[in-house]
Amino acid sequence: MASTFAAVFEIVSFGAIIVLVVLGLGIIASMMGIFNFAQGEFVLLGAYVTYLAYAHGAPVWVGMIAAPFVVGALGFVLEALIIRRFYAAPIVAMLGTYALGLIIRESVRGLIGGFYLTVPEPIGGSIDLGSVHISAWRFTIIVITLLVMGACYLLLARTSFGLRVRATLENPALARASGISTPLIYGATFAFGAALAGLAGALIVPVFSLFADLGIRFLIQGFVAVMVGGVGSFIGPVAGAGLIGTLSAALPWVMSPVVADVLVFVLAIAFIKFRPQGSLPGKGSNHHVD
Amino acid sequence: MGGASEAVARVGEEPDVVTGESAPAARAPAGKASAGWKVLPIVEGLVLLIALVLPWVLQDYLTVFATRVVILALFALSFDLVWGYAGIMSFGQALFFGAAGYGVALMARDLNVTSILLILPAGTLIGLTAALLLGGFLLLGRYPSSVIFVSLGTLTGSYAADRLARGWYYLGGQNGIPSIPPLTLGSYEFEEGPVYYYMVLGILVVVYLLCRFLVRSQFGLALAGLRENEQRIAFFGYKAQHLKAIIFAVGGTIAGLAGSLYAFHEGFVWPNMLGVVFSTQVVLYVLFGGSGTLIGAVIGTVIIEGVSFWLSDNYRDIWPIILGVLLLLVIMFRPLGLISFVLGERERVGSFGKAPSKEPGNAAP
Repeated sequence: MASTFAAVFEIVSFGAIIVLVVLGLGIIASMMGIFNFAQGEFVLLGAYVTYLAYAHGAPVWVGMIAAPFVVGALGFVLEALIIRRFYAAPIVAMLGTYALGLIIRESVRGLIGGFYLTVPEPIGGSIDLGSVHISAWRFTIIVITLLVMGACYLLLARTSFGLRVRATLENPALARASGISTPLIYGATFAFGAALAGLAGALIVPVFSLFADLGIRFLIQGFVAVMVGGVGSFIGPVAGAGLIGTLSAALPWVMSPVVADVLVFVLAIAFIKFRPQGSLPGKGSNHHVD
Repeated sequence: MGGASEAVARVGEEPDVVTGESAPAARAPAGKASAGWKVLPIVEGLVLLIALVLPWVLQDYLTVFATRVVILALFALSFDLVWGYAGIMSFGQALFFGAAGYGVALMARDLNVTSILLILPAGTLIGLTAALLLGGFLLLGRYPSSVIFVSLGTLTGSYAADRLARGWYYLGGQNGIPSIPPLTLGSYEFEEGPVYYYMVLGILVVVYLLCRFLVRSQFGLALAGLRENEQRIAFFGYKAQHLKAIIFAVGGTIAGLAGSLYAFHEGFVWPNMLGVVFSTQVVLYVLFGGSGTLIGAVIGTVIIEGVSFWLSDNYRDIWPIILGVLLLLVIMFRPLGLISFVLGERERVGSFGKAPSKEPGNAAP
């Protein structure tokens, strides 16, 4: 019983991490119809900012709060200077963001060297539930993920900014005609997606420690999750991320980790093949994913 | 597809239909361009000439390096066919390259087969089979697959293969399969050096000529149409998905050939050969040199590998950053690659089949 609970906790906390990473990816893919290859590097940057703050003597949580803002600001600038040119061509966007990611990753590699740098958990220790001990920090990640998901949902569904975002997603031409500045919305959305990745990076760095290839690990899982979930809605990528995260954390408990790893990808690709619109597609999806 | 291909051939005489975004300069009548000075054969001839004399002027260890570059150029050619000519973004081309490499390495290790007459066909066959399976799955089906799905599907395939090879003890895990014996022909052993170099150069030239023939044939014209406007090609009666699957398989075949040569030249195979590292590397080569021209893929490989080799002593750390910046600049400002500095749009698109007839509507400039 106790070990089952520990396993479930392990699975849920990994799923939460994937959800955090995928949320930004999914929002950008839904909105602009591009798959951002630099998203993994935004995660890396978030982790790096947190490490930097810690290395300069600030408490870890200060870095964690700063990370999404720093990465979001960078995302805003990059969107205005570079990404904006790519919206018409999704493949070129992939290559362009890949190049951006390469630049960021290799710069960080140059800054930190080939090391694995550790950052302590701001909330250490464990929570005891009877005979089970679960990591307090991983529990905090789950809570924060839930909060972020709730906040994103409220932002998109209940605010006037969210309304404008949804209008731009649904019909950009009509949104422009109605006086909505779609370039600004695109910029804000990209910055927001980047900020989410930065937050994800900041939260996971105590768990995975900081190394240059931190982002790549999540990138492909993120893409697969977005496609499984379906582009164009808020809930689709989240559901996909939950599914992929849970599967890739749960399968190694019942089979060899190597087979599990590969099986998740094969299952996901097969699923997308036979259901290209994803499990929970949004209304704006059909003209964005072509 | 006789009737349909004739219809497409006539469309091909109007450059703006095939290229979509061609510049006004490209609207000159096709007959004039063929009578003028052609850049492409000159570039090709120059590259071949340099490649032929290279072992005479290079030191031995540089010849070994040049051999590796020639093999990688073959690999780049395979990606260029798929992306540059058919518009299929294969982000997992290394899957075929690495699968063939691993396959022939296993043949050498477990079956003691090193004869070139068996190894190269086997590697080619592995590449073809893998590409048929993956391409068939990703490209064929009731609904046409989206570009995004194919690119992410190939990327995922390559990544998954990498993970599998890393974790599978039989394939050597992280370390791969070391100390593969040299290729043999009868009792002769191909060691690294000028002989190996000329052997792979010969293969590259043959494959290059075959590709050149392929992309200038009616099939190549259909591919170009596919790249520019898939729907239109489908309306002409072509089975667009089948065309894509065929060229994807051809690309995989060439990648398999390159992979088996690479495995025996390096003497070992390791998981990166299958994975995202090599897959994206080949994308860099082709984009850099110029996709949609065969020689562009070769030139891109030579430049990137050459500069990387040259900088590796002093600037090892910043070279990937420079590479990223250059790639970004090329994508943003020179989407047709370095070759577009010397090669006009009209010639890049090429002329297909017989010389265009002087129809009244077409003859006037």
